[in-house]
Amino acid sequence: MKKKAYLGIDIGSISTKGVIIDEDNQFLAECYLWTEGNPTEATKKVLHSLEQQFDGDSYRIVSSGTTGSARKLVGSMIGAHVVKNEITAHAVGTTTLHPDVRTILEIGGQDSKIICVENGVAVDYAMNTLCAAGTGAFLSSQAHRLGVEVEEFGEIALKAKKAAPIAARCTVFAESDLVHKLQVGCPKEEIIAGLCKAVAGNYLNNVAKGKKIAAPVVFQGGVSKNAGVVHMFEEELGMPVLVDEKGHLMGAFGIAVLAKEQQDESEFSFDVAEMEFKTREITCGKCANHCEIICVYRDGQLIDSWGNRCDNGAVKNVV
Amino acid sequence: MRQIHTIGIPRGLMAYRDGVLWKKFFEELGFQCIMSPKSDREILETGTARAVDETCLPFKMYLGHVMWLLGKCDAVFVPRTGGYTAREKMCTRYEALPDLVRNIFREEQIRILTVSYDWYVKTTEEKVYVELGAVLGKTKKEAKKAYSRAKKSQDAWLKPRIKGQNQILDSKKNKVLLAGHPYVLHDAYMGGELAHILQRMDAEVLYTDYVDRESALKKSYDFSRVMPWLINREITGALFMLKRKVDGIILVSAYPCGPDALVNDMLVRKLKNIPVLSLTLDAQSGTAGVETRIESFIDIIRYQKAGGYGN
Repeated sequence: MKKKAYLGIDIGSISTKGVIIDEDNQFLAECYLWTEGNPTEATKKVLHSLEQQFDGDSYRIVSSGTTGSARKLVGSMIGAHVVKNEITAHAVGTTTLHPDVRTILEIGGQDSKIICVENGVAVDYAMNTLCAAGTGAFLSSQAHRLGVEVEEFGEIALKAKKAAPIAARCTVFAESDLVHKLQVGCPKEEIIAGLCKAVAGNYLNNVAKGKKIAAPVVFQGGVSKNAGVVHMFEEELGMPVLVDEKGHLMGAFGIAVLAKEQQDESEFSFDVAEMEFKTREITCGKCANHCEIICVYRDGQLIDSWGNRCDNGAVKNVV
Repeated sequence: MRQIHTIGIPRGLMAYRDGVLWKKFFEELGFQCIMSPKSDREILETGTARAVDETCLPFKMYLGHVMWLLGKCDAVFVPRTGGYTAREKMCTRYEALPDLVRNIFREEQIRILTVSYDWYVKTTEEKVYVELGAVLGKTKKEAKKAYSRAKKSQDAWLKPRIKGQNQILDSKKNKVLLAGHPYVLHDAYMGGELAHILQRMDAEVLYTDYVDRESALKKSYDFSRVMPWLINREITGALFMLKRKVDGIILVSAYPCGPDALVNDMLVRKLKNIPVLSLTLDAQSGTAGVETRIESFIDIIRYQKAGGYGN
């Protein structure tokens, strides 16, 4: 008898993550790669990679879940049992691995969030609004400008004697600030340290504004891999900030845990990775709202649609 | 000038608070009223095309409603409402409303009907409407009577909404209070969408403007003695009246609103022991971001009530 396993996929704007866990929440397979603007292709690649690592002779996947900004699309693509927002997925994942956590800081490619936890359940959260200042995308673009790989940022920042003051309130202002600092001869490492400090400061003054940050603090998302930002958070908060080795997979892990907890099981097949998926955006002309409706096709057949504000725009013939 | 028979009322801004009073007042005086339809994307787009970039979303929407009325009525009612007291003012947009509209639509030669009052000149709502009656060629007596009936209609409109909301308070479902300007909360294209999303998630929706206005206004002075804005007072007052009876509060603001930026910031810091979500709506047509935020928020309420994940 094969043992049960659970699949979780987190499709973000920048990266796509997948994990397979067993009944004791142990990782059986994991994958992390760039979404590159194509969530269905990224998901296929993730599935291929997971399939290679997965011991299909001993385990079978009985439930799956999706989270992240493309959760709906990929959810209908793989026939997920659970489709959930990333806040809940991160909270579930983190509290499963760190039952005593009180504050979860997360900075991803284009969004950042804070989740406050009490007694193992999220009690409050906040997400960045309107703009992506101070997220991974911001750091990447500044790295590009400085001619440094963003992965090296943390190490360089830690070498700096002090951090150059840089305003990260807005990416445009930060950029002109940075150019100015370069022109007045500020050393590169101090600027990089300044950028890391700006990211932490921007986060605490915007996303985390008004929130009580209690220890233990866990920091996740792609930016948590940047030791410079971690250091700045610890300095600003005056408490240790824990970065889990699996922190970048926490959303995928959380949704896999939720997939495990739901009761309706059915075997998942990696065959979906071989199917052809297409999405089409149509503009509904039935009223003045002109909703943009997303239609998902599997091998040419419509399997799901959404985006309509009213029933007039409901797309029929969903199999 | 052509005689006025039909008066147009744009379904935007304070029409969501005082529209019933306006309409009834004009009708009592023998005029026909035409109200623009519910907001949709087309109205927003036509309004946005005429507005300066920096102005707020509800004002852009309002301009769309004014445009819809052009050619369909003899005059458009665009009140200039500065406020009645120094601690109960409106934002500068309202102090300039008829001027803004007149300038924006000067090529269309829009005819505007207005009232005008400021907190530094002592007056009453009744006096303001008697003056409006005089502009329309009505006697003081006629206008007073029309105002009194209009006021009654307004109360008769609000009462069942307050009552209905009080009944919802007994519901076992998750109760979410939407706190914001009435013209954001009840606009079909702005807050209306939020209510749909919440209802799809099986939550009960409550509004800060469905409470007794006098009581809310009074209560707001406990929160701040100096806050100068009437509507933010009504919002915060209602919020503190209902706070203990709901499971979560969503502060809804339309980008960019000056008073909300200040007041909601303070509220986020002061509201304790209840999940609070601050949502800013802008002209982005997709609702995905908003849905994610609301879904996460409802999850927080749900799992907290259940006492943990996996329950």
